[in-house]
Amino acid sequence: MSGIFSVFKITASALTAQRLRMDLIASNVANAETTRGANGAPYQRQLAVFAADPPRFNLLGRVEEPGRGVRVQQIVTDETPGQRVYDPDHPDADENGYVTYPNVNLATEMTDMLSATRAYEANVTVFNALKSMALRALDIGKA
Amino acid sequence: MPIDPITSRHLLIPGGGPGAGTTGSPGAALDSFGTLLSSALENLNRLDNTANQAVARLAAGEDVDLHQVMIAVQEADIAFQLALQVRNKLVDAYHEVMRMQV
Repeated sequence: MSGIFSVFKITASALTAQRLRMDLIASNVANAETTRGANGAPYQRQLAVFAADPPRFNLLGRVEEPGRGVRVQQIVTDETPGQRVYDPDHPDADENGYVTYPNVNLATEMTDMLSATRAYEANVTVFNALKSMALRALDIGKA
Repeated sequence: MPIDPITSRHLLIPGGGPGAGTTGSPGAALDSFGTLLSSALENLNRLDNTANQAVARLAAGEDVDLHQVMIAVQEADIAFQLALQVRNKLVDAYHEVMRMQV
């Protein structure tokens, strides 16, 4: 069924996706200085990969659902090497005295955060537009 | 919903008009509208329950997305607005009939 509530589901999927992206950004910023991540290596930046749910067709080839929104297909780790800083007193320094820091760039995370926030806002705006359309439809025939 | 045209049979034959009873096509039309209305109300009730549960889960501190709760509440709101419009229409029709000169 492609009623107005199914469009709400599409918007909800986008909101969920952007929120998950925001979770990852928060984790990246929180661990920007973490030298002991998973399996002892420095923390690596995490990214969400979005995938579109394709439209669904019925047996006759007609559009049954025009698209079911977005979903997070996988969470990938950024494999680029982190910055190496000379700090021999650090407990995680290697034999040459260098500490490898996470590959998190705060400026990149901030722009990603703005992008996620704006995308969230855009989807909320779509939702509000849909709702006002529905309420406008209920005004049909009123004097 | 099929609406029977008003024919002379309804007007002339006593007991053949609307409100004559459960037999005949007007009664059938009334039934189908009643089913429609009750299923719409059931749907409204279901949406309202979903919204209530979502709000309760959020208030209880469970791991539930804020936007999912808001969307559930808005869905219930729109469904309620629709039901309200249908109700207003019914009341309008009732008043229209009540105002009829006899």
